[in-house]
Amino acid sequence: MLSAFMALTSSAFTQDLPDADNGKKLFEANCLGCHAIDKKEIGPALRGIHLRRTPEWLVQWIRNNEKFRKVTKDPDAIALYNEYNGAAMNVFENLTPVNVQEIVEYIKTAPEAPKTAVVIDAGDGTKKEDNTNLYILLTLVAILSIVLLILARVKNTLRRIAAEKNPEEYAEWLAPKKGFFEKSLPGKWGKLNPTVLTLFAIVIVSVPALYYGFEFSITEVAVQKGYAPKQPIAFSHQLHAGQLKMNCQYCHSSVEKSKQASIPALNTCMNCHKGVQLTEKYNGEISPEIKKIYTALDYNPEGKEGEQYGKNPRPVRWIRIHNLPDHAYFNHSQHVKVGKQSCQTCHGAIEKMEVVQQVNTLQMGWCIDCHRVSQVDVANNNYYKALHDKAKADIAKNNQSSKYFSADGTVKLTAAMNGGLECSKCHY
Amino acid sequence: MNNTMSKKLYIFLSTIVASVMMSSCVSRGNNAGWEYAPDMYYSKGYEPYSQVDSNKINPYGMNMREPVPGTIAIGKLDYQFGLENNGDGYEASIDLKAPTNLSYSDGQGKHLFEIYCVVCHGKLGNNDGEVFKKVPTLKPGAWKAYTDTYIRELPQGKIYHTLTYGKNNMGSHASVLTPSERWKVIDYVKQLSRQVVPSAPQMDIPPSSEANKTTLTN
Repeated sequence: MLSAFMALTSSAFTQDLPDADNGKKLFEANCLGCHAIDKKEIGPALRGIHLRRTPEWLVQWIRNNEKFRKVTKDPDAIALYNEYNGAAMNVFENLTPVNVQEIVEYIKTAPEAPKTAVVIDAGDGTKKEDNTNLYILLTLVAILSIVLLILARVKNTLRRIAAEKNPEEYAEWLAPKKGFFEKSLPGKWGKLNPTVLTLFAIVIVSVPALYYGFEFSITEVAVQKGYAPKQPIAFSHQLHAGQLKMNCQYCHSSVEKSKQASIPALNTCMNCHKGVQLTEKYNGEISPEIKKIYTALDYNPEGKEGEQYGKNPRPVRWIRIHNLPDHAYFNHSQHVKVGKQSCQTCHGAIEKMEVVQQVNTLQMGWCIDCHRVSQVDVANNNYYKALHDKAKADIAKNNQSSKYFSADGTVKLTAAMNGGLECSKCHY
Repeated sequence: MNNTMSKKLYIFLSTIVASVMMSSCVSRGNNAGWEYAPDMYYSKGYEPYSQVDSNKINPYGMNMREPVPGTIAIGKLDYQFGLENNGDGYEASIDLKAPTNLSYSDGQGKHLFEIYCVVCHGKLGNNDGEVFKKVPTLKPGAWKAYTDTYIRELPQGKIYHTLTYGKNNMGSHASVLTPSERWKVIDYVKQLSRQVVPSAPQMDIPPSSEANKTTLTN
């Protein structure tokens, strides 16, 4: 029976040359859900499959891998099944052996996929825009300008030669030239000393240019206010923090303990998204964004309990938005746990943002402004007990030279008074 | 004539170049803008949250690494949890007891409960958190309220096991709660479960908790 089947398959591909176009259609209809040609997805990458497996093996595996494993007990098939933690491939008995050949032919000849931005990549760090296009553009502009300059020179030279040969025709061009100021300024203004006029013009133009250039360079260059990059997973703070009223700390859990508020581990996402897949919104499919979490974790929601996590996790390359330069120190726990600041003080109304945007400049002046006016909540805050006691003692003694002194007997203490303006607090 | 033409062209071109350069400095949308001296902005040393390039040495190109297997960081002995994430481990966790030197008076239990638990379980443990209200697929009706006898009598060790590994729909909270924080949360859960069950319908208990009661009496 089996040999007859084999004979059928081998005769099948000697008679008909496999049709790669039909193979493409079949591949897209049947395989594309789990396989890619150059990338391992739910199933393995298929490029070069004809070199790894014999045609007969492929026919049996693709048409009914379950039977192939359990009845034929093919060792390679069992090994493949185990490699994927028992995540079985679907059975495709509707495909004829010829169809399988066509699919293999298509995979053989399939062009390489264009290298698009890979959404989830092996952690390449965080950052940044690709500026290549801009550089190409600038180079082109520079080259074109040089070409234009050369052409203009050539044209002038040619005309001069022509004028020397034929002065009548070029009389206008040969006539003594009026200076720039003579032409452009009315009446006697144009007759003034051109050097003086030039210097004057330079001052007129350069003062505002310098002023605006300076302002631009301090308010825009290296200030990332307005930066709202597209993240690898379209996580909506508006939905999670806004509508579902989740506490920011549910995910940014180290904000009270550490310098960093921390990006949550995907395990935090899975606390809910193990169950929440939004299949009702996507015609029974798992939401594509939630699928990215699964891909990153190499998690198979249909897998056997205890074997759902594969061995090939790929960290998500979240893009960092709020970024202080390395030479400035900032500590989240100091501001949130001790200073009792809310997240929104610096990050703005995050709970209303679909895509997170930096709303503040994070410049030093912005820090200092806040330090100057922010009252430190010293009462009922154990971190400030010593300070509070000292301030109270100063007030009780009516010590007017004390910086904590205020005539009405209340303790007025800003962050600035508590060292919030010391250079070495943040730059050391 | 042609001289002024080319002059105009120069001015036009240089304006374009200048504006392209200016606008690319400004950060908008996907563009982070330009910096003066990137060397001063990005740490040359490895830092976990300010990584610029792919790490050539560490797994997955990440600066962060997992601790060497079998090692325990100083002061983190209580992270060692001998029980396994399965039914046997859950049953064995009955005997787990909170460390005796923990202080519960600092309000941390309530504070942490209101960060990590209320999203599903609600302020009073009635399973009426915002996530449960809006995500029907989690089927909160089948969950037991904290005031239910089951939760009241549930050994603390078992709750600790659940917080560490997760159970059913609930995921592991081991990465966000330290062991001592877990015990403080458990203490607060027990406080909630000792509340008197209100006989008359209470202020803001949604229908889900009514459904809850009926499933329990059945």
